[in-house]
Amino acid sequence: MILSDTGTSRINGYLFVLERSLATVLPRESVRDVVREIDSHLRDRISAAQAVPDERVMLEKILTELGPPQRVAQAYSVERTVDEAIVTGKIWAIARAVWHVAMSGVLGFLAGLGLFVGYFVGAIFVILAILKPIFPDNVGIWVGDRSISEGVDIGPRVGVNVLGHVHNVGGYWVIPIFVVAGFGLLFLSNRGARKFLVWWRGRRPGFSITVRPAS
Amino acid sequence: MPLETWQEQLRRGSLDLAILLTVSAGPRYGLAIIQHLEAFTDLIVTEGTIYPILGRLTRDGLLDSYWVEDEAPHPRKYYRLTRQGTRRLTDMKSQWRAFAGKIERLMEAASSAERNNRDSE
Repeated sequence: MILSDTGTSRINGYLFVLERSLATVLPRESVRDVVREIDSHLRDRISAAQAVPDERVMLEKILTELGPPQRVAQAYSVERTVDEAIVTGKIWAIARAVWHVAMSGVLGFLAGLGLFVGYFVGAIFVILAILKPIFPDNVGIWVGDRSISEGVDIGPRVGVNVLGHVHNVGGYWVIPIFVVAGFGLLFLSNRGARKFLVWWRGRRPGFSITVRPAS
Repeated sequence: MPLETWQEQLRRGSLDLAILLTVSAGPRYGLAIIQHLEAFTDLIVTEGTIYPILGRLTRDGLLDSYWVEDEAPHPRKYYRLTRQGTRRLTDMKSQWRAFAGKIERLMEAASSAERNNRDSE
């Protein structure tokens, strides 16, 4: 069937939103290809649809079955970012993939939170190793002045001295410790993130698909 | 785990195999793949999200895609199995049959044990 101007505008509007949503996550050439494929899908659906008195109802049915454009774009985004992270192992690609997974459910969120803590603490150790030569008196391992038996201090602290009743016992020897701890944590977090994404993808091969219960 | 969740996991887990089987007979475009799945299975999917999966299978080297410009009033993107995809499909089919066979044997064993228990009572 041939669409009216209003129907054509509705389809163009859908494709416009899809294109804009995809533009933030896919390369330009891929965006063009995806939009062309979805456009082809819609034209097939429309040409196969029987003429109905209310064109708007028919179009909304077709678009509902296809899914909202943002959701279609998100499905592409998740598929690609997770793939890219697994294949390249680059920290930025992994961070993006973990972010997408974290937004998709409780399990993903908890894993994302744990990985964020790992990266964050690792980065802090590396920063402390860099800061130690610049601020030797303010960066180190801090030990309480009073013993634990007195029930006040709870042992060594790492970082900048913001507490009056502790003292720095760390010399420059803390630098290699911070470096090893920092890069070790970053490495383990990255490895853990990659393994998690591989597991997550394997566990849910059609993770971007919503499967309606069989009637 | 609710039964619906388990059913959904079963469907999701078999979707890659279903798509590869759908294009094994010959190249198909996206909507034709969806319609084939709807006709032969209850793997009813939200149509727009099957395309990213087709993209993933293509990136994994299991499918190959190309545009056909002159078949319809508008161009269509076709998908076909690659050699790697054919090999993977053969492996997946044998794995699936072996797995289904094991589960079938388990169910038969459980049924026969049930019958024996009933007879002895």
